[in-house]
Amino acid sequence: MPPIFSVDPRSGIPIYLQLIEQVKRAVALGTLDSGEQLPTVKALALDLTVNPNTVARAYRELERDRVIETSPGRGSFVRADGSPSVVKRAVTDVAASALSDAVRECRSLGCDAPAIRTLLEGALERWFPGENS
Amino acid sequence: MNAISIANLTKRYGTTLAVDDVSFEIAEGSVCGLLGPNGAGKSTTMRCLLGLIRRTSGQLAIGGKPIVAETFESVAYVPDSNALYCWMTIAQHIEVTRRSYRNFDRLRLNELIAMFALDPRKKVGALSKGQQTAVALALAFSINPRVLVLDEPSSGLDPIFQRVVLDLIIDASSNGATVLFSSHQIGQVERAADRVVIMRSGKTIVDGEIDRLKSDEKIVEAIFPSDAFSTAHFDADARIRRVERTGRTLRLFVRSDAEAVARDVETLAPRAVQIVDLGLEDIFLGAVGADAITQGVS
Repeated sequence: MPPIFSVDPRSGIPIYLQLIEQVKRAVALGTLDSGEQLPTVKALALDLTVNPNTVARAYRELERDRVIETSPGRGSFVRADGSPSVVKRAVTDVAASALSDAVRECRSLGCDAPAIRTLLEGALERWFPGENS
Repeated sequence: MNAISIANLTKRYGTTLAVDDVSFEIAEGSVCGLLGPNGAGKSTTMRCLLGLIRRTSGQLAIGGKPIVAETFESVAYVPDSNALYCWMTIAQHIEVTRRSYRNFDRLRLNELIAMFALDPRKKVGALSKGQQTAVALALAFSINPRVLVLDEPSSGLDPIFQRVVLDLIIDASSNGATVLFSSHQIGQVERAADRVVIMRSGKTIVDGEIDRLKSDEKIVEAIFPSDAFSTAHFDADARIRRVERTGRTLRLFVRSDAEAVARDVETLAPRAVQIVDLGLEDIFLGAVGADAITQGVS
């Protein structure tokens, strides 16, 4: 049973980017296993009630990012070859974007780089007590 | 290839310019939502495209060719009202459609009639506005059209049938059909379409891929220590659609390069600056202007 993706079409984040993030997150968390099949473009578009070209675009970019592979007539699958690196890349991508959002938010509040660095040190100390030298 | 191509379309009624030099193209397989306040020229653009009313000037093409009688073999049009004859039953309309279209698909039609819970024995005149829309849609999708032009296809339909219409559009698009549809419900366009054209007073004011617009169109919002800050140089900035000032707050509706605009704003020494992502509704209101709200646009 493939994971259920969800997107918010009303959000200001492009739908194809939301989908890319969702698939990468599913791969990073292991809810989508290496070699596992993704829904077809049409099935996912109908399931989420979003435009099929938008879903196709997300799949194309996921292919380019080497997260999934598509074989004509068979469908799209999470890449199986060298899967640990696929998962690692997915983790890095999702985490980097989450951290970037957090920094953007701090910056919009008027924090400068040194202030954000101090905050980050504090956050690391909270979640990794003692490890952060 | 472009399935629909509109170049420099103008339609004049007497001294009124209903459509004023409108140009846009829709690639094959794409779904384009047409948005705009009432009277913006959406329906007139559609009727001109299909040759139902005579254009004043401009070039139009469907499937890369000028519109001729054969074009309608593969084009379905659902007008915003009066698509059907009140004195005829649904079954009689089905019979007319069957005789008129080579690609008429009886099984598909039966599916659609069941989907919309329609009784073919009923006369169109006895149906609600929403049911009449449903009949027109069922007939339109039953001919497996390559191009669909739908003028407010979900007006009068309840939320469940509105979702059915979106599913039909999405299904048609994933089979390669091209769709142009107008709607007052921005959320429907945001879901079913990949492209949007926003019209106002007969002109095209926004035209683009929805996801691209969401990447480009932002609000750069800044709070200043006092209300004495100068923004005159933003008025003529091509990156900025609109400048809004209220007290110590500055809001710039940006059409591109939000990060660069935000850096420019920072040189004015604000207390804080943020870039706000916009949904299609915000983009629509930002482009059409706040006065459109008073015209009853949702």
